[in-house]
Amino acid sequence: MKGKKVTAILCAGMMAAGMLAGCGGASGSDAKASSGDAVAGGSVLTGSQASGDKYDHQAIENTKENITITMMVSGVAQGTDFETQSLPDLVHKKWPNVTLEVTKLPDDNYYTSLKTKLASGECPDIILTQPMYAGSNSCYALAEAGYLASLNDLDYLSNMPDLSAVTYDGNVVTATTGVSILGTYYNKDLFSKAGITEEPKTWDEFLADCKKLKDAGIQPIVMGDKDQYVMQFGLYQIAANEIYSKNPKYDDELRTGDTSFTDKDTWDKVLTMYKQLYDEGYIDASQSLGYGASQAIQDFIDGKAAMTFDGSFNAAALTATGEGGDFERGYFPIPSESGEQYTATCLAAGYSIYAKSKYVDQCKEIFDYWMNGDNEIWDAQLATGRVIPLYGKGADSIPNYDLFKPFIDLTNEGKGFHWCNQAWPAGTETTMEEMFSEMIGGQGTTVDDITKGMQDKFEDLLDD
Amino acid sequence: MARNRKSDREKEQYMKMSPKVLILYIVIIAFCILVIAPLVIVFSSSLRRPDNQASPLHLFIEFSGASYIRAWTQMNFPVELLNSFMTTGIAVLVIVFFSTMAAWPIGRIKTKVARFFYYFFISGLIIPSQMVIVPIAQTFNRFNIPNTRFTPVIMFITCSLPFSVFLFSGFMKSVPAEIEESAYMDGASLWKRFSTVVFPLLKPATVSVVITQGMWIWNDYFYPMVFISKQAQYSLPVGMLQFLGDKENPAQWNVLFAACVLCALPLIVIFMLLQKQFINGIAAGAVKG
Amino acid sequence: MKARRKKRSGANTSLTFNNKMFAFMIPALAMFLIFWIYPLLQLFYYSVTNFNGINYNYEFVGMKNFVKIFDNGTILNSIGITLIYAAVTVVLSNILGLALAIVLNTKIRFKGFFRTASYFPALFSAIVVGFIWSYVYMPSSGMIASLINLFGGNGASFNPLGNFHTALFAIALVEVWKGFGTTMIIYLAGLQTVDESVLEAGRIDGCNEWQLTRLVKLPMISSTITINVVLSVINGLKAFDYSFIMTNGGPGKSTKTLMFQIYEIAFTDQKMGRASAFSVVSFAVIIAITIVMLIFMNKREVEV
Repeated sequence: MKGKKVTAILCAGMMAAGMLAGCGGASGSDAKASSGDAVAGGSVLTGSQASGDKYDHQAIENTKENITITMMVSGVAQGTDFETQSLPDLVHKKWPNVTLEVTKLPDDNYYTSLKTKLASGECPDIILTQPMYAGSNSCYALAEAGYLASLNDLDYLSNMPDLSAVTYDGNVVTATTGVSILGTYYNKDLFSKAGITEEPKTWDEFLADCKKLKDAGIQPIVMGDKDQYVMQFGLYQIAANEIYSKNPKYDDELRTGDTSFTDKDTWDKVLTMYKQLYDEGYIDASQSLGYGASQAIQDFIDGKAAMTFDGSFNAAALTATGEGGDFERGYFPIPSESGEQYTATCLAAGYSIYAKSKYVDQCKEIFDYWMNGDNEIWDAQLATGRVIPLYGKGADSIPNYDLFKPFIDLTNEGKGFHWCNQAWPAGTETTMEEMFSEMIGGQGTTVDDITKGMQDKFEDLLDD
Repeated sequence: MARNRKSDREKEQYMKMSPKVLILYIVIIAFCILVIAPLVIVFSSSLRRPDNQASPLHLFIEFSGASYIRAWTQMNFPVELLNSFMTTGIAVLVIVFFSTMAAWPIGRIKTKVARFFYYFFISGLIIPSQMVIVPIAQTFNRFNIPNTRFTPVIMFITCSLPFSVFLFSGFMKSVPAEIEESAYMDGASLWKRFSTVVFPLLKPATVSVVITQGMWIWNDYFYPMVFISKQAQYSLPVGMLQFLGDKENPAQWNVLFAACVLCALPLIVIFMLLQKQFINGIAAGAVKG
Repeated sequence: MKARRKKRSGANTSLTFNNKMFAFMIPALAMFLIFWIYPLLQLFYYSVTNFNGINYNYEFVGMKNFVKIFDNGTILNSIGITLIYAAVTVVLSNILGLALAIVLNTKIRFKGFFRTASYFPALFSAIVVGFIWSYVYMPSSGMIASLINLFGGNGASFNPLGNFHTALFAIALVEVWKGFGTTMIIYLAGLQTVDESVLEAGRIDGCNEWQLTRLVKLPMISSTITINVVLSVINGLKAFDYSFIMTNGGPGKSTKTLMFQIYEIAFTDQKMGRASAFSVVSFAVIIAITIVMLIFMNKREVEV
């Protein structure tokens, strides 16, 4: 479930990034869409054929009757929700004959629902998917099974620098417009109260700052480890510093057997470093294991703890005003031992089109409009503060842009690394979280047990 | 002493106060308070404005409908309520009909075949639906049954059959067969015998099935969660799921609690109105079955 | 009367209750076969394949899935957790339900109120109950933690769902809270069938109330007891809701019941084949336990 939660979170992040998938790239779908058009519109065929590989950019206009496009995403609806309210309204405003029906489900239910809908052939036209292998809605897994339409003919793609994490077998299958960041939110007021004047530059400085906070009677870090997926937020930052910066191919080599989780100075080091925070009481395991993720967020915004590891997708919640009034936030990547800066920043989750959808081209038309970087849908999505787009109007004025800027810069310098669970078969990270909880919960589990458990699970999951 | 007490009891409705009885009262009252305390707090908090974060232990310090209004709109309450009623109503109706029909031969015919079917049906009691959900979804696909608001109803009916057949056939044994025999002598057709003689006799068991299965269906979130994808078709518990990701956000507790109350309210009202039938129905379900 | 006479042979010789009646079984049987038995058979089939729940190009892998689930111990862990969960809920809800029923079966005032109050939690959907108890158990600011704070304790250290040793019992308690009222009502109905004259005879023999309960009432409602126990055992073995809603199976693996583990293998690990193997084994475990219970129940009924 933790895996699913993470996935969901990733999804939320991706939605934030607001990409859309085009429809019907696959030749099969094209044919289908065309014949549909022929029935509906009469004279469309020529246009489609003329454009060759291109999808029908007038698909919706050529569909005379009213159509209903279904869409399913994960997350929790808030206030005026983008996916369930603004998006359908704006699409309907642009194309009065299109009704977009959006269902938003909590993460776990999203995965269950998606799987059964795929099994029953009732998949919504548009679904939320995650890069690479992450979660039950991994775009690689779904594409491999032939469920996702190729989006190669979407015009918006030219805006995106690198889409390899959502490209399967040469086809872009997920439309994503931005990135998601994992970092460390901190409370500047509490930092200065403890006499800390600047962000830590090395792991040792980071530990020293934690100690200063603790000595000043301030809880240094709060985490909601009852939702075990949050452990990834800290661990992946450390992994970016200590593993991927040294061997960016580490995860690929796991699959070929050239590396192993049990290799010295890889995950054992990451886990030992993270464990240090619990051993020193900088994160209080006896409390965190019973704390939910949103409770930890609440403690942070109430000023009860100085830091929390979390993602850009939760920025809105983390910058809300809590009980103790407002304070200034900062956001930094956990520093590495060497002092060199890296970040766990990767492509955000995005939207895919179900290959057997009746409206592949129509969906693509919507995606291209939405993601062209300058229209009402784009603006509405940016306003949610849950996307960090890599292009388009207002990309540098999104909420909390100042917090994210250093991460985006690092990523552009090639110092951003994918989140580990994206490269692992879903379930590996669950074992990591479980065994890590056992370790900090005093169950006698050791770091070596965890790396061995991860390796076993990894091999087991790959083994069909 | 025992004898005296007996005659006392006949004169008086209630036990006489004595230290022992007083302690009994104190214990049982304390216990009941313990049991309903979470519900009282939920109700009290639901009456606060969403941003009132005072300790929920200060009961009933504010009376506002603001949290309810937000929960009402967030859940789309009237639609979900109607969906819940429709789903439950249709499912229960069909269950009673199908399972009385099935229970009739099973309860009356004394052969190994009938016995086999009895065990065949009740074996379904012990298999949880989480286990078979993906094959079930594929089955719907194979038979080209689209996902509509009635898809979960099909599963509710199927999953209720074991218990209902079990209960009706058990109850059938306590109904004298002579009545049917005289109908048979009068030359009534099977259908007529079933509809005019057997079915009315099963009324107590029917009440029991309607209540136990109705409650289960009303409260179940699993099948609707899996099979319904349109918000307009959500039932109340599925609507509640929308709050799941938010469950520990303290700022949202009051709204969540208001939603909890709204979700439970219809059943509470029905329970209050039909308390006797509920209690008897549940008891009959277990004891007679 | 002839019709009711028990037949040794399998043949049905009753005229009143002839085999034509089986036609009435068709609608129920059809639904049951199509939507329950058929998927179940598919499940058995998947248990020997590497189906991942998404990709339908799967292969036959023999007994590999079964070997795996025993190999890494997940199934034994889940069976243990499920049995503990079931034992706690069965024992607590039956003791509470029975004790309360005995008290409410006396001439006590406000009987209706007490009965309603204890039954009330049963009206709520598991999802609502999960929300309510997430709040009750929340460290620092939850209901119990606030009460501890109120009396000068440290509510922040009260953390039942975050502790490896208490989380399972904490969610089992939620199940008890929701379920004991139903158990109580069934016991109450059983107690009401106890003949007053038998009790009177006991009183004449000088039994006190406790002896009457232990020596007369309990034996007379033994079939009710077994029914209640069987129902709560079946319910306990199906445990899923509160692990799903309240703990996500954590901390660690400490609340991963059988059903939760199956759900997780199928939906997180995407190993539908292995989840099916898991289901098949769970199915065998549940059936074995149920058969033992049924034998026990039949024996008790004979005694009564």
